[in-house]
Amino acid sequence: MLKDVTLGQYFPGNSFFHRLDPRIKIILMLLFVVVTFFAANLVSFAYLVVLLGVMIAVSRLRLGVLLRGLKPIMVIAIFTAFINIFWTKGEALLVQFGFIHIYAEGLWRALFMVVRIVSLVLGTSVLLSYTTTPMELTDALESLLSPLKKIRVPVHEFAMMMSLALRFVPTLVEETEKIINAQKARGADFESGNVLQRAKALIPVLIPLFVSAFRRATELATAMECRCYTGGGGRTRMNQLKLHAKDVAGLLVSLFILTAVFAFNQIPLPFGVL
Amino acid sequence: MAVLQFENVSYLYGADTPFEKEALKKINLTFPEGKIIGLIGHTGSGKSTLAQLMNGILRPTAGRVLLDGEDIAAEKGKLAGIRARVGLVFQYPEYQLFEETVEKDIAFGPKNLGKSEEEIRALTAEACRFTGVTEDQLSKSPFELSGGQKRRVAIAGVMAMDPEILVLDEPAAGLDPGGREEIFGGLRSYQREKKKTVILISHSMEDMARYADEIVIMKNGEVFAVDTVGHIFENAELIRQAGLELPQITRLMILLQQKGVPVSPGVHTVEDAVMEICTQWKGGM
Repeated sequence: MLKDVTLGQYFPGNSFFHRLDPRIKIILMLLFVVVTFFAANLVSFAYLVVLLGVMIAVSRLRLGVLLRGLKPIMVIAIFTAFINIFWTKGEALLVQFGFIHIYAEGLWRALFMVVRIVSLVLGTSVLLSYTTTPMELTDALESLLSPLKKIRVPVHEFAMMMSLALRFVPTLVEETEKIINAQKARGADFESGNVLQRAKALIPVLIPLFVSAFRRATELATAMECRCYTGGGGRTRMNQLKLHAKDVAGLLVSLFILTAVFAFNQIPLPFGVL
Repeated sequence: MAVLQFENVSYLYGADTPFEKEALKKINLTFPEGKIIGLIGHTGSGKSTLAQLMNGILRPTAGRVLLDGEDIAAEKGKLAGIRARVGLVFQYPEYQLFEETVEKDIAFGPKNLGKSEEEIRALTAEACRFTGVTEDQLSKSPFELSGGQKRRVAIAGVMAMDPEILVLDEPAAGLDPGGREEIFGGLRSYQREKKKTVILISHSMEDMARYADEIVIMKNGEVFAVDTVGHIFENAELIRQAGLELPQITRLMILLQQKGVPVSPGVHTVEDAVMEICTQWKGGM
């Protein structure tokens, strides 16, 4: 159950996306998110779906893994689709049943919302979380945000906090699973009862989890101090990020591909299709 | 009493990911009743996976786990009943403690099984006796105790569920020799007195030699050997093949034999070694 959480999970590989400079990947991901929100008609959404297909093919990630990552957001997607179908008012009435009115616009909008949500999750995971190690990710963030150091933003500290947080996601997931299993072995029941009973059933999991999270934090702080960590000043790195010509080329080509959506938005479509 | 049986059981971790790993390969195994069975093997040999299959925490990828001839995964609702019959103490169980007092924490398991207040009190007292949790600790917070004390409370918590089979995964890992002795000694008197089946998982040959009746050796996800303690330790070559070390005392006896002292090389506890050497000594006089 918890193994489905794919946040901060890296799948080793050697694809184009794996090799691309992580800073470029972050920029592209932000752009991808923006473009997804700007897509406004059927043509641009179809384009988005094709683009996503190509990205997945290039990344050489397994489809099963990607689909499993979608599971947690399926509820949100279905819920939004539902709201859009029943609450959108338009001109082309399709179904009328009592107080229920379904318009063609609502169906289109629901479809677009689902495509949008799915492509947001898939796009960001292909571009970033599945193909970038947490270390690369934080180094890239630190490098991208480094201009903020001029106005005394503790960029290094933020990046370190983020990398530590990411580092501990799988550990905590594993720990949670272990504790759940241990309490199950002691006859704890997490699957039946009403909401209140279920929430209460989580206490035997949450308390040990917090206790061990604090213990880990203390141990980590001690270990870092023992290795003379004092913050960002004067720290050097083992892997320096360097932009290569092909990274820049990749960025430019991707920019062109992504901004094409704005052009597609201008294509007029026949009646009834948004 | 209950018989636990594995029938062609395989288990796969991380199926359909790049990290896929076959932890168990077609295990066929029957655990004898009313004995202490030592499950040993190298790190990564599949011991812990096997343990978690015993009470349905994990489901076999293929094959069946049978308790008294019935498949434990047959009905979903039955798992709670299975867990009452097969108690499992995980590795480092002290991290599962959560209640305000030690007494409440030990009572968590039996309470979940719907036992009455009286029963719970009796079971708690009994479990404390075997694990060496003292009266004055019962009202303390489990977080005030030392590591070894917490471990004993956690073991008592599963023992108090009164299972027919008690499975313990490395119950003495990370404890000093005194602590190990207390835990294993307690488990042995529990087994002898209650006549239950106890399955101990460990990679310490010394402990297994001292406390187990039967030994199951695992290697690379397969059952490598099953036999009584005496027979297993007579076969030094077999143990080396499994990537394990013989107990020190057995190694000493083998060396003595090689030097021409007519002692049996199958001796695996210090007490037996003393006996063996004394007999030889007297015989030679």
